[in-house]
Amino acid sequence: MVLWKDFVRGLWAENPTFRLNIGLCPVLAVTTSAINGLSMGAATVFVLICSTALISLIKGIIPDKVRIPAYIIVISTFTTIVDLVMHAYLPDLHSVLGIFIPLIVVNCIVLGRAEAFAAKNSVIRSAFDGLGMGLGFTWALTLLGSIRELLGSGTLFGLALIPEGATTLGIMSLPPGAFITLGILMAVMNMVSARQKKMAS
Amino acid sequence: MNLFTILLSALLVNNFVLVRFLGICPFMGVSKDVDSAIGMGLATTFVMVVTAAATWLIQWFILEPAGLPFLQTLAFILVIASMVQLVEMFLHKTSPSLYRAMGIFLPLITTNCAILGFAIMGVQNSYSFIETVIFGLGAGLGFTLALMLMASIREDLRFADIPKPLRGVGIAFILAGLLSLAFGGFAGLV
Amino acid sequence: MSESLRMVVVLAIIGMVSAGILSVVYDTTSVIIEENAARALESSVYEVLPGTVTVEIIRSSGNQLRVDDPKEMREEEQRTTLIYQGLDGQGNVLGYAFVGEANGYGGVIRILVGVDEATDQILNAKVLAHSETPGLGDRIEGENFRSRFVGKMVTDPIAIGQDIDGLSGATVSSRAAADAVRQGFIDTIAVYRGGE
Repeated sequence: MVLWKDFVRGLWAENPTFRLNIGLCPVLAVTTSAINGLSMGAATVFVLICSTALISLIKGIIPDKVRIPAYIIVISTFTTIVDLVMHAYLPDLHSVLGIFIPLIVVNCIVLGRAEAFAAKNSVIRSAFDGLGMGLGFTWALTLLGSIRELLGSGTLFGLALIPEGATTLGIMSLPPGAFITLGILMAVMNMVSARQKKMAS
Repeated sequence: MNLFTILLSALLVNNFVLVRFLGICPFMGVSKDVDSAIGMGLATTFVMVVTAAATWLIQWFILEPAGLPFLQTLAFILVIASMVQLVEMFLHKTSPSLYRAMGIFLPLITTNCAILGFAIMGVQNSYSFIETVIFGLGAGLGFTLALMLMASIREDLRFADIPKPLRGVGIAFILAGLLSLAFGGFAGLV
Repeated sequence: MSESLRMVVVLAIIGMVSAGILSVVYDTTSVIIEENAARALESSVYEVLPGTVTVEIIRSSGNQLRVDDPKEMREEEQRTTLIYQGLDGQGNVLGYAFVGEANGYGGVIRILVGVDEATDQILNAKVLAHSETPGLGDRIEGENFRSRFVGKMVTDPIAIGQDIDGLSGATVSSRAAADAVRQGFIDTIAVYRGGE
């Protein structure tokens, strides 16, 4: 079924973070802990699904020359909705994710999928594509967040997993740690996918 | 906070790419050779400075007085998109070769999170007009600096024997990590 | 309809619908956001003025909306130190608290400082907001640094290098925090004690 394919694509084969290498700013910035990564992913999924679905719905009436500004208006509307709702109902999370919530509007994944997929496909397919891409982004964020949290503070989702007083790799919570961990993860993902290809042939 | 501190802070100490994690996509995408890195960096800096002025005016003369702070994201990103469009048209007329060389990356400046990022930060810190412009200048130059450093190293990496999985983005990120570590040394500069 | 006109109309419609939706969402959420902020501030006041049961607002941010000069309005807001009063269960004034602000490394540092009513000495300080570097500047949040302000009076220098030790590796953050406390204290005494 084509909808399933649309959904699964974003999870692995065309994973936005590890395969397409887009939308990387939040991947580094908000992954200081697993829950932060997960929340950012969830917020982005919301914006992705709503935006791609709506854009696909109104694609017929948007003149081609102004499609980018039109997409931007739609995406920033949903982004602002997420921003306001999180600020009201999840203030702690909102303050941790900070400026990266409004920055969802310039996350290349959202605009990229709108332009590449939603502009040419049906609403339901666009929604599934958005969901798949969003979840692919989310698990990448959560994975990186978990690694950095575990090595940097010894906790996972806030639960302490290492004995009291054991040393942690503080650098993991700082920018250099983020870059290096992501680089290594990229390499690992490359190895996994190379092995997959080998086994398939 | 005086202007010099703002400039130096945005340029080095709190470098937008290596410390604040903004502008990563073009940082990875356009840092393969020094020439395009410089071109991208300067174009982005120009857009940032112009955006600084425009967003400051919009925030304090339109959004705030009208009680519409929630339209900030929308207004700012539309301003940025327009500025990039203007820069594109300008380059197309004045320097068609540069315009062609930059190709797809020119419109992509719109999605550079460093631009929207610094504009929002400027408002949050209640910077004055001139402070916002200097902040934008520092952010853009810092972005250009990071891009140039990255590009010059990656140019040399082309001749290095890198393990297959690490090639491309993998080694680039580890490189960025080392650069970020080095930039950490600027803490305490100002 | 000509192409240009159509472009403008479509964008305008999308823009207006979007602004309308956001307006509605904003109206609902801004109420909750303000309530949250007020509650958070109140609980912070309980922390810096132990024993407080009720919080009274002595001075809130400038109410004069200088719409004709937004820059002036913003600067006015910046200059105004928020002041609160803490009352115990019997309505006695325990002390007052103010929000000091100063620019640190990454942005504005806001510190809530609780002062004893009887002695005009600082009881406690709490960092409300900052954008300082994690691991370095954010140590101003810690008990170690905050305790350095306890006991200070407005007549004390409250300056790094004089009566307060800065945090190693976080000079700018420490200095900004001290500036916030000192300046806020001076402003507050002028308003709170000046009228008497």
